[in-house]
Amino acid sequence: MTETASRFSPPAPPAAVSAERTGAQVMCEALVRENVEVIFGIPGGAIMPFYHAMWEYRDRFRHVLCRHEQGAGHAAEGYARSTGKPGVCVATSGPGATNLVTPIANAWMDSTPLVAITGQVSSAVLGKDAFQETDITGITLPITKHNYRVSRASDLPSVFHEAFHIARTGRPGPVLIDVTKDAQQARLVPDWNTTLNVPGFRAPVDIDPRALREAARLLAGASKPLILAGQGVIISDATPELLSLAEHTGIPVITTLHGIGAFPEDHPLSIGMPGMHGWVHVNRAIQECDVLLSIGARFDDRVTGKASTFAPRARVIHIDIDPSEIGKNVKVAVAIIGDARAALRALIDEMQPRNAAIWLRNIRETQATHQHRQPYLHRPDTKELMPHDVYAALNSALNGRGGYRVVTDVGQHQMWAAQLIEWRRPRTHITSGGAGTMGFAVPAAMGAAIAHPDETIWAIVGDGGFQMTNQELATIGQEGIRNVKVAIVNNGYLGMVRQWQQLFEGRRYSGTPLSGPSFAGLAEAYGLRGFTVDRIEDAEGAINTAWDHDGSVVLDFRVEREANVFPLVPPGLSIGEMITREAPA
Amino acid sequence: MRHTLIALVEDRPGALNRVLGLLRGRGLGLHSIAVGDSETPGVKRTTVLVDTESAEQTIKQLNRLIEVLEVTDVTNAEYVIRETALVKIQAPEPRRAEIRTVTEGFGARIVGSSAQTVVVEMTDTPDRLGEMIKRVMKIGACETMRSGSLAMALGGPARRAKAAGSDDANQAWWSQADGVS
Repeated sequence: MTETASRFSPPAPPAAVSAERTGAQVMCEALVRENVEVIFGIPGGAIMPFYHAMWEYRDRFRHVLCRHEQGAGHAAEGYARSTGKPGVCVATSGPGATNLVTPIANAWMDSTPLVAITGQVSSAVLGKDAFQETDITGITLPITKHNYRVSRASDLPSVFHEAFHIARTGRPGPVLIDVTKDAQQARLVPDWNTTLNVPGFRAPVDIDPRALREAARLLAGASKPLILAGQGVIISDATPELLSLAEHTGIPVITTLHGIGAFPEDHPLSIGMPGMHGWVHVNRAIQECDVLLSIGARFDDRVTGKASTFAPRARVIHIDIDPSEIGKNVKVAVAIIGDARAALRALIDEMQPRNAAIWLRNIRETQATHQHRQPYLHRPDTKELMPHDVYAALNSALNGRGGYRVVTDVGQHQMWAAQLIEWRRPRTHITSGGAGTMGFAVPAAMGAAIAHPDETIWAIVGDGGFQMTNQELATIGQEGIRNVKVAIVNNGYLGMVRQWQQLFEGRRYSGTPLSGPSFAGLAEAYGLRGFTVDRIEDAEGAINTAWDHDGSVVLDFRVEREANVFPLVPPGLSIGEMITREAPA
Repeated sequence: MRHTLIALVEDRPGALNRVLGLLRGRGLGLHSIAVGDSETPGVKRTTVLVDTESAEQTIKQLNRLIEVLEVTDVTNAEYVIRETALVKIQAPEPRRAEIRTVTEGFGARIVGSSAQTVVVEMTDTPDRLGEMIKRVMKIGACETMRSGSLAMALGGPARRAKAAGSDDANQAWWSQADGVS
């Protein structure tokens, strides 16, 4: 515990007999008490007392110095999404805090448990436009589950306890704690005997037995039932229960983008992803089904298309822990408020075994017409390296080897990953869904890699998103993170926007062509390995080389520039109206 | 459609800001809001008149706010609604008698005056206030100030708001939720 005091340090604390601490030490101790093992951040003036205290706690939790606060926030999200535990990020006041706004908004949209800690200027100058003063609690009001400004050090134990509780309980989400510099510096004897004081934070009540019975009755009487599984299943660790219910009833299962992995795609009852880039047979099944059981999904417009035309024949049973999701976007016949796992268990008990074999056969027939040879779906006959080739190679490596997680960014590569890789386990597919935050993948993969040092963490990213946060490769290098493998699906465009310009705006490629440095060279410059791949026959070998290399790697796949994602529901239309292939030239 | 909501909100910094921010952020039309102490220290009772297609969604969203303890929609219940207006009327001596007659006819009273103006106070339903103001504006120039509506349901017992920190309001569920203490 003896530190070499720098001449800039405040006087050393009195000998160990005293229980007196600084507010900053209390913050560190609060993190230890919440079992935090790693935090991601960048110091600055208003958070310096916390960093000063952190040195004493360096054996208790790890601090990862990121290159940009956005990266720190996404890294904490990657940690959280891959473990289910709250991720923690730290920034200073002003620009440090505002740089966290994007990951906080992302965590808000994707229900990710995140605790963001920011320094604030001293209370004495608060409200006086002091250097690096920003009203970050005001800015983050609409994108946090809750936020706090702490200017009294004695509030720190209860605020930290509440913040972690709120972030991880019920529907998870981000909580921000803004601590003034004087509260960090104040000396106090902390009272850890805190009780939670959040009466307005409502309980998931016991599951309503009448709603359960009604749901079971609807499902038993349905001739074309479907299960729509969202991220709620993953958050509740309810995959075994979902498997039991599906097998017990024979009902086919759809997984949303965030529900990917909630139900294994190699299971005979799995039929795939719905929505804007979902499969034709899945969207048709939704439009035909008579009962739709949604579990922990929120009927995002990318799933429903034009909501008024979504599942027109279906009576919808909606299981969700957040009452505000019920009836928000689609009309619901039966609402079951509660934890997905508890609800599924109770529903299994209510249901007699049944099957839906004829219905499933119908769906598979549609699938056979539209989706044969899935990995090469509508792959143009070309000798160029197609994105599809990259995904085929990734798919065989991932499922051949196991021990992986994949983080995707936002855009075409994200949809191809969702479509062309066979997903089998929860928390192996992590992406930015609701907010659609480009730049998510590299830092989030870094966070997941720290949480799972024994696994191989793939970041699949476009050349646009990669160039938004690739400075975190420096963090990966400095921290000695050896298990991040980045696959850039590089087409020299902001590809999804370009695709829309091609299909809906007469090929006017306004603001979408994109250049960049040699990404392999960039990786090498950061001290990692980098490889450029531009031939079909090299894709698989490159992926295996990267996987086997003891260190983080960047693979730059130079793919056909104007490859498109199909199928596609044009924005604003019904999911019954899909474009399934390129119009003949 | 206009809905009359009554909310119990913890008296914490930023709580009202959160309520207003939520209404704005979700594109709801706020017609009036009145906030004041309830019978329980630390809890504000708030009346919100809001134009929304789905009061149910508004209530659910408000309930997501940590400081919002309870929201009731009294629109379709039996309830009383009252609002106070102060109206300063340009009142040269010859018009004062007319002003007195008109305002007293509405049950309003003159609570102050100066050489040129009188100030009238009236507490009634928002509609009646509107009528009174319309009427006195015909007499002379007016400056009006309204408090925002207060609503109270008639049915049910008189219910004391639970204290924000009380055990019964508090501890019911989180202990079983994740076992933290």
